[in-house]
Amino acid sequence: MTTAPPPGSLLTAENLRKAYGPTLALDGADFSIHPGEVVAVMGPSGSGKSTLLHCLAGIVPPDSGTIMYDGQELSAMNDARRSALRRSEFGFVFQFGQLVPELTCVENVALPLRLNGRPRKEAERAALGWMERLEVDDLAKKRPGEVSGGQGQRVAVARSLVTDPRVLFADEPTGALDSLNGERVMELFTDAARSANAAVVLVTHEARVAAYSDREIVVRDGKSRDMERVV
Amino acid sequence: MSVAQWARDLAMGVRFALTGGREGWTRALLTAVGVGLGVALLLLTTAIPSALDARHEREADRTDITWMDSPAPPKGEDTLLVADLDTEYRGQEIRGRGMEPEGPGAPVPPGLDAVPAVGEMAVSPALRELLESDSGKLLRDRLPDRITGTIAEEGLVGSREFAFVRGAEGLAAHLGDYRVTRIDHFGASDSASEGLDPVLLLLVIVVFVVLLMPVAVFIATAVRFGGERRDRRLAALRLVGADGRMTRRIAAGEALAGSVLGLLFGTAFFLVGRQLAGQAVVYDVSVFPSYLDPSPLLALLVAVAVPTAAVLVTLFALRGVVIEPLGVVRTARPARRRLWWRLLLPLAGLAMLYPMIGQGREGGDFNQYLVVGGVVLLLIGVTALLPWIVERFVARLGAGPVAWQLAVRRIQVNSGTAARMVNGVAVAVAGAVALQMLFAGVDDDYTRDTGRDVSRAQMQVTLSDGMPASATAGFASTAGVEKVYAFSEGSVGDRRTDPESSEQVTVGDCAALREVVRLDSCADGDVFAVLDPSYESDIKALATPGRVLYFDPSYGDDEGARVAWTVPEGVKNARERVGLTANTTTGFLFTPAALDGEALAGLRTEVYLQLDRSVPDHQEQVRNTAAAVDPLADVMVWSATEQSEKFTAIRTGLFVGAACVLALIGASLLVTQLEQLRERRKLLSSLVAFGTRRRTLGLSVLWQTAVPIAVGLLLSAVVGLTLGTVLLKMTGTPVRVDWPSLLSMTGVGAAVVLVVTLLSLPPLLKLVRPEGLRTE
Repeated sequence: MTTAPPPGSLLTAENLRKAYGPTLALDGADFSIHPGEVVAVMGPSGSGKSTLLHCLAGIVPPDSGTIMYDGQELSAMNDARRSALRRSEFGFVFQFGQLVPELTCVENVALPLRLNGRPRKEAERAALGWMERLEVDDLAKKRPGEVSGGQGQRVAVARSLVTDPRVLFADEPTGALDSLNGERVMELFTDAARSANAAVVLVTHEARVAAYSDREIVVRDGKSRDMERVV
Repeated sequence: MSVAQWARDLAMGVRFALTGGREGWTRALLTAVGVGLGVALLLLTTAIPSALDARHEREADRTDITWMDSPAPPKGEDTLLVADLDTEYRGQEIRGRGMEPEGPGAPVPPGLDAVPAVGEMAVSPALRELLESDSGKLLRDRLPDRITGTIAEEGLVGSREFAFVRGAEGLAAHLGDYRVTRIDHFGASDSASEGLDPVLLLLVIVVFVVLLMPVAVFIATAVRFGGERRDRRLAALRLVGADGRMTRRIAAGEALAGSVLGLLFGTAFFLVGRQLAGQAVVYDVSVFPSYLDPSPLLALLVAVAVPTAAVLVTLFALRGVVIEPLGVVRTARPARRRLWWRLLLPLAGLAMLYPMIGQGREGGDFNQYLVVGGVVLLLIGVTALLPWIVERFVARLGAGPVAWQLAVRRIQVNSGTAARMVNGVAVAVAGAVALQMLFAGVDDDYTRDTGRDVSRAQMQVTLSDGMPASATAGFASTAGVEKVYAFSEGSVGDRRTDPESSEQVTVGDCAALREVVRLDSCADGDVFAVLDPSYESDIKALATPGRVLYFDPSYGDDEGARVAWTVPEGVKNARERVGLTANTTTGFLFTPAALDGEALAGLRTEVYLQLDRSVPDHQEQVRNTAAAVDPLADVMVWSATEQSEKFTAIRTGLFVGAACVLALIGASLLVTQLEQLRERRKLLSSLVAFGTRRRTLGLSVLWQTAVPIAVGLLLSAVVGLTLGTVLLKMTGTPVRVDWPSLLSMTGVGAAVVLVVTLLSLPPLLKLVRPEGLRTE
C-alpha cells in the first residue's frame, strides 16, 4: 500500500527496492524532503544509505518503488532525462571529491555549467564566485593534486552548488577529512545550501556531521526510518 | 644489501602482481595479454627463417623439371617421364605433374607411395577440398581423373598448396618439349639459393626492423599497465616501513611477474597461432605448423630480453615519481623534456647511413650492421622525439568544448602516456612510408615491360610440338573468347642441317597474319615475306622463286623434320608492324592453303586470344579448352608488365608483416585504452553521476588518442620521408615522394586509431555506469 507524499515535498520515494545480485541493498525504503531542508541519512556501513542516495538522485534506477521529483516520476524517466536533471537541478559531493585531476580547480567547478552549455568564460566567472564563498578562490589555477584534502572538498562543494541546484546530494562529504576540516566544510556547505534554498540529502555515519541537518533518517537492512531529533 | 633481501622484495612484487583479487588479476591479465601478443609476434619472427628454409628444402626435395641444360638420363628401369602440367584456377596457382614410369625402379615423388596409374591422380588436401566443392566444378572438368590418393606433407611446400600428380602415357613422344623431361631421381643436386642483390637485401633488412620496432615499443607499453595503482600500493608499503630502494625492487618484481606471465601467454599464443597458421593462406603463401620452429637461440634471446626490458622500463618509469609514505608525489609540472639527446638518436642514425649513400648496386653489398643500426636509431628517434613534440604541441592547445578540454588537459598533464600510446603507430607508419618510397623508387628496376599488347589479346596458349593448328578450332566456341589468332611457327633454312641462313616461318589465316604484319591484300594460298626487315637479313636471297628451303632444319644433335619446300612464284611483300608480342614478325608468312601437312608437322602452334572479360570465368574456360585440346598446352595470361619474383615476394612480405603489426598495434592501443579507462572508472562514474553526457566522454576519449596520433603521424611522415630519401640515395635511385602511399599509410594509421576508439566505446559506456560509484 502506498501513502500520499507529505505535502510540499520536493523529492519523495516510496517502497524502494534495489538488489545487487543476491545482496538486497534497499528493501522497502521511504524518503521525503522539502525545499531548503537538510536531511541526514544515517546508518552503518552496508546498510543501503548510499544506494538510497543513488536512487534518489536518478543515478541508478530502483528495482521497484516510486520516486517523485517536483511532481514528475523520476523512476519512470529514461537515462537521458535523468542525466539532464542531474546536470541542471541536482548537485553532488562525494567522499573523495572526485575532481578531475587534469583540470584546474576553477575548471572543475565550472564543469557542470559547461556541460549545460554555458560559455567557458561565463562558467568560470560563476565558478570563481562560488569558490570565493567557499574561501578557495586562491586555488583557482591549481590542480586538485596540488591542494589539501579539505581544500579539495570545498572545491567539490563549490562545484556542486555552481548550477544553483534545487537538491544537493552529499555522500560522506567529510569522510576523508579531519574533524576540524570536516566541520568547516559542513558549515560552508549547509550555509551555502540554505541560502540558496536547496534541499540537501546528506549521507553520513557520523553523528557530528548529521548534527548539521534538520532531520535524520536511519537506514538499516535496506529499510528507512525517520528519527526524532533529541535536542 | 643481501641477495636474500633482493629475492624477498622481488618475490613480494611477484605476489602483488598475481594477487589482489579481481582487480589485480585483471591488471596482470592485461599485461600478460599485451606482452604475450608481442612475444608471440617475436617468436613468429624468429621462426620465419626456419619456415623459409623448410619451404625451400621441400621445394628442392621434389624438384623434377629443372629447366637446366643438363642432359636427361637415358631410358631405363629406374627412369620416370615427368610433364609439367602447372595450371591456375581463379588466380590460384596449382602445381601439376603428369608422370609415366618407364620401369619398376622409377622414382616415386615425395608425399606419394606410388605413381598414379593413367586416368587416376593424387591431389593435395586443399585441392581435394576445392575439387569436391561447388566452386571447383570448372576445375574438375579440367582434371577429370579419378582421385585415388592424397599427396602427403613431404610432397607439399605449404599446407594449403594446390597440387596434383596424374598418371600419364605417351610422354616419350614429347621429350623434346620443354615441359617434359626424364628423371631418375627427385631432388635438385644443388639447392643452394641464389643470393639477394644488395638492394633487395636492404629491403629485407628494413622490412624486419620496421616490423619489429613497434612490437618492442608495444611490449614496453604493456609492462606499464596499472602503473598508477601500483604506485599507490607502493606508497602504502612505504608507510609500513619500506624504503625507496625496496619499493623499486618490489616494482621490478611486479614487472618481472607480468612479463614472465606474458612470456607464457606469448608461447601459448604462438603455439595456437602455429596450428592456425596451417589453415591460413596469406598472399598465396601457406605453411605447415612444423615449419614454424623458432630458432632456439633467438627464442632464448626473446625469453631473456623481454623480462629484462620489462624491469628496465618499469624502473625508468619510476624515475619521475617519488613514492612517499602518505602518497605518490608527482611534481605537478614535471621537468620539461630535453630535446638534445632526443635529436641525437636520429642524427646518429643518419650518420650511420650516410657513408652508404650513392653506393647503389654497383657499390657492392651494403654494410648490414650500419643499415640496421641506422634505421633502428632513426626509428627509435621517433619514439624519443614524439613525447617532446607532443608535450610542446599540446601545451599550446587552448580550451574548447568540454570533451576537448577534458582530453587536452589530460594530455597536457600526462603527455608521456599519450605519446607512448601512439609510439607504435608512429614507428610503423614512419617505417612503412620509407619502405613504400623505396619500393616505388626501385619499382621500375624490378618491373619489366612485357611488350605485349593487352588490348589485342589477353591470353596465349602454346600447344606442344606436333599439335596441328586445326586443333585450335575449339577455342572459337569457348565462352568468353571473342577472337582467336592461331599461328604455327617455326623456321626454314637454306640447308637440311646446320643451315647458314634461316628465317622465321609463320602460318596463319589472313586475319591472324594482319595482326603481326602489314599486308596489301591477302587470300588463302598466298605466301608472304618481309622483304625489307628493320635488321640485316638474307630474306631477299632466300625468297628467290625456285629456291629449295628446308622446314625445321637440324642443328647438331637436335634432329628436325627437314621438310623440303620450293619457293613459289609470286611471294608477296609484307611489312613489319608492332605485333601482339614484343617481337616483330619477319621471314616467311603462309596462309594455311599454301603449305601441305608435312611441312606443318614440324611447327609449334601458338594461339592468341582476345577475350570478353565480362563473361564470368573466361580465363578458366580457356584453360579447360586448352587442357582438352592438349594436356601439355601452356596457358599464359598476359599482363603489360611483370615483376621480379623476389621483389614481389619481399613486397608481399611487407604487406603480410604490416598487416600483423597493425593488428598488434590496434590490439595494443585498445588494451592501453581499456587500462586507462579502468584506472579512471570512479572518476568517470562521478562525471556521469552529475550529468555528463556519454557522448562527451566518448569524444574526449577520441580526442585523447586523436591529438597525439595526429602529431605522431606528422612526425612519422617527416621521419619516413627522410629515411625513404636516404634509402633511395643509398640505392642510387632518383628521389621521388610517393604521395599516394604516404597518404594511404598515414590514413591507415589514423584508421587504426578510429577503430580502436570505436571499439573502446562499449567498454567505456559499461565502465562509466553509475554503479561504478559503489564501493561496497
